[in-house]
Amino acid sequence: MDLNYTPEDIAFRKQVRTWLEGNLPRKEIRTLDDRLGWHRKLYEAGYLGMGWPKEYGGGGARPMEQAIVADELARSKAPAPANSLGIGIVGPTIIVHGIDAQKKRYLKKILTAEELWCQLYSEPNAGSDLAALKTSAVDQGDHFIVNGQKIWTSGGKVAHWGLLLARTDTKVPKHKGISCFLMNMRQPGVDVRPLKQITGSSEFCEVFMTNARVEKSDQMGKLGEGWAIAQTTLGYERGGRALARVTNYASMHSRLVEAAKKMRRHGKPLIEDPLVRQKIGRIWAEIEVERYQALRTLTQLERGEHPGAGGSLTKLSYSELEKRYMELALEILGPYGQLTEGAPKEFQLEIDTAVGEQGSWAYAYLWSRAGTIYAGSSEIQKNVIGERILGLPKETRADRVGGKA
Amino acid sequence: MNFSFSDDQVLLKNSVRAALEEHCKSSHVRAMAEDGKGYSDELWGEMGKLGWLGLPFPEEHGGAGLGLVELAIVLEEMGRAAYPGPFFSTVVLGGLGLMLGSSAEQKDKWLPAIASGRARMTAALLEEHLDWDPASTTASATKSGSGWILSGVKRFVPWAHVADVILVPARSAEGLSLFLLDPKSVGVTLSPMKGIDLTNRWSELRLDKVAVGAEAIMGQPGGAASLLESLLRRAAVCASAEMLGAARRCLDMSVEYVKVREQFGQPIGSFQAIRHRCAEMLLEAENAHAAVYYAAWALTAGAEDAAVASSICKSYVNEAARRVCGDAIQVHGGIGFTWEYDLHLYMKRAKALEPLYGDTEYHRELITRHAISTR
Repeated sequence: MDLNYTPEDIAFRKQVRTWLEGNLPRKEIRTLDDRLGWHRKLYEAGYLGMGWPKEYGGGGARPMEQAIVADELARSKAPAPANSLGIGIVGPTIIVHGIDAQKKRYLKKILTAEELWCQLYSEPNAGSDLAALKTSAVDQGDHFIVNGQKIWTSGGKVAHWGLLLARTDTKVPKHKGISCFLMNMRQPGVDVRPLKQITGSSEFCEVFMTNARVEKSDQMGKLGEGWAIAQTTLGYERGGRALARVTNYASMHSRLVEAAKKMRRHGKPLIEDPLVRQKIGRIWAEIEVERYQALRTLTQLERGEHPGAGGSLTKLSYSELEKRYMELALEILGPYGQLTEGAPKEFQLEIDTAVGEQGSWAYAYLWSRAGTIYAGSSEIQKNVIGERILGLPKETRADRVGGKA
Repeated sequence: MNFSFSDDQVLLKNSVRAALEEHCKSSHVRAMAEDGKGYSDELWGEMGKLGWLGLPFPEEHGGAGLGLVELAIVLEEMGRAAYPGPFFSTVVLGGLGLMLGSSAEQKDKWLPAIASGRARMTAALLEEHLDWDPASTTASATKSGSGWILSGVKRFVPWAHVADVILVPARSAEGLSLFLLDPKSVGVTLSPMKGIDLTNRWSELRLDKVAVGAEAIMGQPGGAASLLESLLRRAAVCASAEMLGAARRCLDMSVEYVKVREQFGQPIGSFQAIRHRCAEMLLEAENAHAAVYYAAWALTAGAEDAAVASSICKSYVNEAARRVCGDAIQVHGGIGFTWEYDLHLYMKRAKALEPLYGDTEYHRELITRHAISTR
């Protein structure tokens, strides 16, 4: 056990920090073009797709180097790149499951953000029970015809391409009849409508597919393998950015402490109130424990081990912490924490919302409700932990007993 | 960067587990609970032979020269087995205390004696007001000739009834000082304080004008505050390691039980109400593991954040162990509330350590002081 960073890692961190000092956007990012410009700069510096194979435009970097870059980006409060789903999920899925022609066709353009991607998984009646999805893909000889509706598609409005799960066989048990496709979003049969969330913003969309076309060459894996492919995709969602996430939490904690110095209760600074001090101490402990756990995960990744179901523990831990954290922040901040406009500078929170809207404590608070629902709700994560890590017996379920998909 | 045990550390863990599974079954724990002294000399001797009693001491003093990570590994296993005996009080409170501040003569006298199993120790860190801040000490030390006269009352002193020497903080004219006290000295009264944890024994230690020699002082007169703070941090992390082990035992027993206990015609572990609780217990245990071993490493390596890491560790593990052990009783149902079933042995072990070496609120305040001062 040695939790010191190696001299190489320290030197690399310094190099990234120096680059960021010279290259961070000076103006606030407001448009997609602004964000694409920043994205390309990051890619040219070698800070995107760092772990991808070099032959497809990646950097072949170690997990620790990737974590350091993500961490330094968080530390400098850098804006997010443009193609986060493409880089975080679609690319890695193509790398693992795609054929060479698909890798050549798509990967480089994901990295350069020439093509933006979204993920077409959830449906109105297939959320936690994702395998119940009904969108169909019917074989037409040289192509597939897709019909159905997807929801919670983040970045759907701007995407050129979508990673699609659709049913290709209704006669087999539901998990076995799903296939995976790469679908062009810019075609007449695809209609994308923004979905306004409780934050007031629209990171997500609904996607309606009416006789949309998918080429045969854009089928990924074999027919019926879609569910297995989706499992690895969800795995990517449940791992990676842990260290950077903790750095974000830590900078919010500093803001919170500063705010508590400005407010008063019973004539004294709020930061002197023992109850407030207990809350601040408690949440700092929880944030640091997340950091220790991120170092454990990184140790595994550095050894080439995949966290597997352990990723469910990570996701459950941070998403539930984030809700507790934001509730506590709003307790301390009082009505200042709920302001979406007109907040004095010391009660603002400068965060990048990835859609170019101004961040605030209120936004961060509302957004914290999403983490325990997306990419497998906390309840689903606990099922996974119970079954796959603890080896507890599976529950009796109607869809397992009846065998009907 | 490597947050995993080395091969040697894994080996140590496995050998401690195997030895305790052989020598410290729950029948042994229960037998010692009825025993007047409360622990087995035979097992103590065995622990000396296995090198556990000198684990963190330098080799020249008969120790193994290992760090707090290794010590935490041993303590986690002791918590897991609810080992009854003065290991923690002797090796952590006494041994680490001596290592932090004693003279060469004191080290020569006591460390090899502890390592070989000949001597047992403890420290009297708490007084009637239960303030863990060493600055709150009210026991007094008055200069008398070349020696000192000690007076005061200490409470919740673990294993004092079997200790050969006790570390006693007392306030002298120079400030907070630390003394090595022979409990057989004239004026010392020990009375038992019996708690719910049957694997531990506390005493009240009464000092009525106890005369000690000049050689009894540890470090400089008035210079004990920072030593005691360092010792408290180590004790907090070591106690957390024991609590982690006890919580793991409760979790493992729960998982085994809910796989076989049937109600409504199926194992109760198949119900989400039970399964989700077990998943949450695992998360708490894993997070507690990270908190314990990060802090143990930080203290050994002298990391910048070692002090705050030990407070983070104790405050986090306090709550995690409370939750895991409590939920273990809940998922067991009625059987978990019976004396015959072993679960309560581990639950009480963790509970007894929760308020010691700084309770949750004490450590959270220290964390906040750190957070405010570094920004």
